[in-house]
This record gives sequence, structure tokens and C-alpha cells, in this order.
Amino acid sequence: MSFSRRNFLIATGVAAGATTVLSACSSGNGGGSGSNKAPSVDKAKAAEILVGTKADSTGAAPEVPGAVKGGTIYTLDQIDWDHLDPAQLYSSYEGACSVLFLRGLTGYKVDSKGGTTLVGDLATDAGTATDGGKTWAFTLKDNVKWEDGADVTIEDVRHTFERLFASFVTQGPRYPQGWLVGGDKYKGPYGGKHLDSIEISGKTITFKLKEAHADFNFMLAMRGFSIVPKKHDTKEKYDKRPFSCAPYKIESRSIGKGATLVRNEHWVAETDPLRNAYPDKFVFQFGFQPLASTDRYIADKGNDQYTLSLLNEVAPERIQKVLTNATFKKRVLTQVDTTCYYFAINTKRITDVKVRQALNFAWPSKQLQQIRGGALSTATATTIISPLTPGHKDFDLYEKKSKPMGDPEKAKALLKEAGKSGQRVVVAMQQSDNAVKQAVAIKTALTKAGFTPVVKQVDKTSFYSQIGQLDNEYDMFAAGWGPDWPAGYAVIQPCFDSSQIADGGVNWPQLKDASVDKAIAAATVEPDAKKAATMWGDIDEQIMRTAAVVPDYNPIRNYFHGSKVGGVIYDSGNTCIALGKVYAAKA
Amino acid sequence: MTPPTPSAAAPLEVTDETGKTPAPSSTAKGSESRSPGRLAWTRFKRDRTGVVSAYIVIFFFTIAVCAPLIAKLYGKNPYEQYGQETDGLLNDFAFPVKPNGGIDGNFWFGIEPQLGRDVFTFLLYGIRTSLMIATAATLLTTVVGVVIGITAGYLGGKTDYFVGRVIDILLSFPSTLFFIAFMPVVYALFVPFNEDVPTWLRATCLILVLSAFGWASIARLLRGQVLGLREREFVEAAKVTGASSRRIVFKELLPNLWTPILIQSTLMLPAYVTAEAGLAFLGVGIQDPTPDWGVMIQRGAGFYTEDITFMIFPGVSMIIFVLAFNLLGDSVRDALDPKSKR
Repeated sequence: MSFSRRNFLIATGVAAGATTVLSACSSGNGGGSGSNKAPSVDKAKAAEILVGTKADSTGAAPEVPGAVKGGTIYTLDQIDWDHLDPAQLYSSYEGACSVLFLRGLTGYKVDSKGGTTLVGDLATDAGTATDGGKTWAFTLKDNVKWEDGADVTIEDVRHTFERLFASFVTQGPRYPQGWLVGGDKYKGPYGGKHLDSIEISGKTITFKLKEAHADFNFMLAMRGFSIVPKKHDTKEKYDKRPFSCAPYKIESRSIGKGATLVRNEHWVAETDPLRNAYPDKFVFQFGFQPLASTDRYIADKGNDQYTLSLLNEVAPERIQKVLTNATFKKRVLTQVDTTCYYFAINTKRITDVKVRQALNFAWPSKQLQQIRGGALSTATATTIISPLTPGHKDFDLYEKKSKPMGDPEKAKALLKEAGKSGQRVVVAMQQSDNAVKQAVAIKTALTKAGFTPVVKQVDKTSFYSQIGQLDNEYDMFAAGWGPDWPAGYAVIQPCFDSSQIADGGVNWPQLKDASVDKAIAAATVEPDAKKAATMWGDIDEQIMRTAAVVPDYNPIRNYFHGSKVGGVIYDSGNTCIALGKVYAAKA
Repeated sequence: MTPPTPSAAAPLEVTDETGKTPAPSSTAKGSESRSPGRLAWTRFKRDRTGVVSAYIVIFFFTIAVCAPLIAKLYGKNPYEQYGQETDGLLNDFAFPVKPNGGIDGNFWFGIEPQLGRDVFTFLLYGIRTSLMIATAATLLTTVVGVVIGITAGYLGGKTDYFVGRVIDILLSFPSTLFFIAFMPVVYALFVPFNEDVPTWLRATCLILVLSAFGWASIARLLRGQVLGLREREFVEAAKVTGASSRRIVFKELLPNLWTPILIQSTLMLPAYVTAEAGLAFLGVGIQDPTPDWGVMIQRGAGFYTEDITFMIFPGVSMIIFVLAFNLLGDSVRDALDPKSKR
């Protein structure tokens, strides 16, 4: 259950959907494309995130070459933060900003080349698993302080996890609630009771899990598990103004407009392996559409030189202008995202595997990519696990690489074999101008393959709740999922395990396959990460054999920033720009 | 969306003229005396602008009617995504590789960015759709407007009062907003939610709604005309001789009203073409993949900074058509009613 994550995907869906306008000019565009090789997802290496040692977990963070201290960094983005209470915080955009004022037990250490390591943030290391991964222990660092100078205590840590069970927590990630022993009955710490499966002694906290989870420490690196001080926990109100133990604290905030962060003088750099905290001040500015921010970066005047965006990408209207200009291009961070957008096939309505496979063969992947703006903004997916997520297995069951336009003949033959020629398929999409165009391509391709397609444009705001209904009357729907931490589990388990089938759940295809469930259970408890990754890759292929989804694309993000911003590095753990590394260059 | 506002002055003068002329049949005696229709035709032929406009309008209607034939000779259709099926037409950004929107011997007007359809046939079929809807809406509007207007004017009294208030309401109604708000509801009522909205339903709804809001102005104008006419001697005479209401309306009144009706409807058609395009632009009219003028302009608007060619063809052709039709309407008025000419 990851509601906000879905909201986030809706938001990015807007951005992808808005990719109507890439460019061309009347002087011809034959040569324009050659110099702009899109990053290829296939060749992108899986962002293998290693677990760091105790030495890796000690501060200070490695210096960014050329970085200078001081100055102010500004941001320009569309929307304000919805939640700041870690327990409620799920979207990667909020997560990206929260790095500056929230710290968790573990976190992702990013080096200046973009390599990422899982290390202890407040913990001395990335955790110790015993009992085959069923028990996890973390030790709190010394000398970590809250913004009022008080020490971060192990009680604070315990309280952070206990308050996840409180009734007002409705939005954040809910893995611990399901994983911890006794989690199903616990009602939160406010009644004075502690959860028995979280033990503290000295500076060490121990978690007892129902079953083995080899990636428990990765799960804890989600920004949603940042530590909350017991003394300053204001329950619901904490969402407005969290208490900081990180390099910055919130000085002022104006809802919908912006926020200012200033240094937290009690933060000790030597305790923090993640954050360099070069600028003296961060000024967040909200309410700017991508076109406005892109134009300001193009102009590059005044404070905008010190500005970057965490959510806004290069506006589709300007993408060719920006990416074909060498000076602009230097200021764009292009990054393939780990999200995979797919069309889930309702396996309850389309029960015949052959029909689902025929849909996969018939799918107009290349056409849709073109409509979304070409290879610079999306990469065609053939697997559910993104090539950037550990556990990705490179396979192409439905010949998307050799036949990117789809194979109507093969699809037709399969349909005939199944005796379902002329099968009606109702496809639901999130309504947008671009989706209307995509519908044209989908209809053409499916009709060619012998289907009778109906494409419905469904209102964006209610889209996910509609397709989340178990008795919905759509056969296929455009959905998307980004893993909460880089592991096959976070991609596969929430979306394809039959235990996740529920109204409002995210097992959109409603896949109920005993052998898939069994494989998921086996991979979940596999203690060896390498072995587990291979297992997840095999499960991905196994699911694709049942053709529960038609993988569509992996988005490619193009983040633009001002000319005086340095250290813009991608954090592939949190899938966002690593704000802790950013610096303001001298004028 | 707003139908043309009738200019009250011109038609009134028309009635003066036609009022003076006795029934046409009685004048067609000698070779020298000509019917008012003939006179108007002669006057129209002398109007260069009018004749050129008429040719342009006829041209547009011809290509609209013959669109399938032309497409067949040309060898393409508006649905196929040529740019995606053939390599070398669209680049990595999904824009036409060739200059000027990909114009070449095969694609006379270039190809559509992203979807890669043929602009020429798409435009032909788009004009066809738009003109069919606009013509149907104009005919319906005129019939309804004429019937209601004359009835109200002739009967007078309570009927007139009632119709007058309905017209007041309709004229003050924000029709575009109504359409945007109301159409999804209509579609939801008539179409099961997991079915596509059929194009005929969209077209019918468009025609009905355009007519429903359009008849008021023409009805009001005719009501005024009839109010003036029904006190005239020839109507009185007909009444005295015992003619039925039906005969009076159709044989006595209507012949005197053709001029304003003709003028109104020729001005209404181009207004409907733009209104239909406007609705398609807003996404509530005809929708892809059905070719439509407005849909094309909407698509073009997204690309105009980079691929202006794609916007120029539908845009300029619509400007030419609407301009020509409006000039034609002016010329028709001038021909039928020479006194209004400045």
C-alpha cells in the first residue's frame, strides 16, 4: 500500500503526458538527432547499491571536487510539499528535499560520480542481521544532536517506529507495520505501550521480523523512516514543522509559496556521511510550471543562476532547444528513472494467457515512444524491473527489440489459436492531450492484430482509485510503479503477490498465480542479496510469461539548473537529485 | 460560438423593396421586365469579390464532398500512421525529417509530427467533417428559427410573449460553457462507460446543441419582420379573401422573408465552422482519430514554435474559407438588397 507513491506517479504521469511538443524546425531535422543520443536504458548499468562498511558510515561526507562553502541555493518547482512528517512522507520529491532536515537510521551515500552506497546515517553502520535476516540491530552514533542541542536518543528511534502505528498515520510507506512481529495488533505509543518486537538497550535498537528480510536496512533508508524526537512529537501537527537533526532546519514556511532552510548549528559534519551541506541557506520556491522554470534557466539571470529543480523537468516545448544547445545541455542532468510504466492486463477479465500474450506482441511500443517525444524522454521497457534496479534480468519475451512496432501477424495467429479473434479490449488511460494521441496508435495497432479495441480516457484524479477496484470493467490500464528501494522485492511483491489483491490495492492485474506467489515468498526470505536479485529477475520473467502486464516505458528525466549551481548529482537510492551535495559556485 | 448578430436595418429595407414588388409571376411578361431574383443575380455577377468568394466556397464544398475520391487518387488515407511505419520520415524527436513539415512528392502538405499521419488527406477529411456538421447545423437552425420566428410574429399575443422570453434566455446563455459542461454528461447517459463514444453521436450532439442555441437570433429577426408585414395591405387582403393562416404564412409572408433568411444563413455557416472548430480545439467536439479541422488546429497549436507548417495548412485554409464565406454573405446581401450598400 503506497498511496503517496501513487500520487507521485500521477504527478509524473502529468509530466510525461505533457510531453507533447518536442521540436523540429522548418529547416529540416535530419541532422538534429544525431548529436543527441538519448541515454539508453538497456546499456545503463543497474545502479548496484552496495552496503557500506562502518568506515563508510562515518563522516564527514567525501568532498565534491571544486565545491565551495556558503551562498544560497534556490529551487523552482510546481508544487509544495504535501507532507513533512516522515511517517506521512512518501513521494520522492518530498524525499529529495527532506534529506536536508531529516535523518534516518540508514541512508544513501552518493559519490561525485553518481555511485551510491547504503550506509548508516544516524546508525554507526548499515545494520547487522542475525537469525537469517529475521532480527536486525542498529547502533546509534555519538554526538548527533537535535536543532535545540539535545542528543538524539535511542528512545527517539524507538518512538519513530512505534508512532508509525498511530491511527493518524495514513500516507507513508507501510512495510514495518506488516513486517514487525506483533505489528498487526499494535496501536501506537500514545497509549503508553511499547511494541515488544522493537527492543532497545544502551545505544542499540533491535527489530524482530516475522520473516526474513535481507533488505530491511534498504527499506529503512526510505526517507519516510527518518527519526522523530519523542519530546517534540506533536502528532498530526508534526507534519507542518518537523524537528531537525540534519544540517539545516526550517526557518520559515509559507504554504504553497515556499520555504527557507538555514543551518542547524548543532549538526556535526563528522557524524554525517551523506551531506556536505555547502550552502548557508536553501530557498524553496513553489508554484512554477515546467515551461516557466525552463525559460528562467534558459535566461539564467540573477538568483536563477543559483537555482535548480527537483521535480520540474525541461518543458517538452523547449526540450530540443535545450538539448541541442551545448551550453544548455551542460546544465541538464539526464537520468533514467527506475519507474516502469506498464499497461496492466486485468487477468480476471482477460483470462486466456494467449490473448494476453497477443496483446504484448501487438503492442505499438515504438509508436507510443514517438508520441511521447521520442527516445530522449522515454525508453521502451521489456521487463517489469527497470534495468537500473538490482534484480533486472535482460529478456525480451515479446520481441520488442527486433520488432518495436509490434508484430500484428504473430498476435493475430495467437488470437486465432485461442479462438478469440475480434476480442474486445477496453483500455483505460489517464486523460491528457497526449493520451488521446496515444489512443490513436493503440487502436490502430490492436485493430491490425485482430482485436476490437476501445480506449477510454479516464479522469486523472480518480484514475488510480478506479483501476484499483477489483470489479472494474476495464481490460487494460496504464499504470506505473517505482520501487521504494532498489530491490526486486519493492517492485514485484506489492504489485504481483496475490496477497496484495484488495480494493484500492496496487496488484492491478489481479494476478493470482500460485507459482509466482511461491517464488516471491522464496525470494523474499533469501538472505544472499546476489542470489535474491537473480531470483527476482526470474520472477519478472515468470510474470511476463503469464503476460499480466504489457511493459511500456522507463522515463528519462531531464533536470535543468542554473549556471552557478555545482554538485548536481543523482541519488539513485532515493531517485532524485542529492541536495546534500549541491553547492553555490563563486560568482 | 456566438451566431452572427442580425443587423436589423438591412432586412427591413429589403421588405420595403420586395413589398413594393407584386407577386413575381405577374411581372414576368415582357422580355424587359425581370424578376427580383434575376435582378439580384445580375447585381451579384457584377460584384467581383462576391464571385471570387463564391468560387472559393464552391471549391471547398467540392473537395469536401470529393474527399474520398481525391484521397483514393492520391493514394493515402487520413488514418494510417505513415511516419511511424516508414523509416526516415520522422526523426528521433518524432518530428518530420524533411524541411517544411516533411513536404515532398509523396506528402504534399507534409506529415504530422509524432503520429506521422498524412496532413493532406487529414485536412481534406477534416474539412469534410467540419462542413458537414456546420451545414447540417445551419439548415436545422434556419428551419427551426424560421418556423418559430414566423409563428411568434404572426400569432402574436401570449405565444409571442412566451417565445420572446425563451429567446431572451437563450441569447444570454453561455453556450460554449454549456457545451463543455454538458457534453460529458450526455455521453455518459447514452454510452456505456466502457464503450467508445461513437462519432455519429458526437456529431449529432454538436449539431443539436449548435442549433439549439443558434435559432434564437434568426427567430427574433423574423418575428420583427413578420410583425411589420402582417399589418400590410396584401396580408390584410389575403385575410379578407378568406385565406387560411397556413396559406398566409407560406404564400404571403415567407416569399417576403427569403432575403433575410438567406443572408442570415450564409453568415451563420462560417460562424458554425469556427464554433465547431473551437469546440474540437477545447476537446469537447469531434475527437481523434476522426479527422476534423478544429482537431488539426489544436494539434498544430502545440507545435507552432517548431513546426509551423503543420499549423499553417489547416489554419490558413480555415481563414480563407471563413473569410470567403463571409464576403459571399455580404455580396448576397448587397445583391438582394442594393439599398444597404454604402
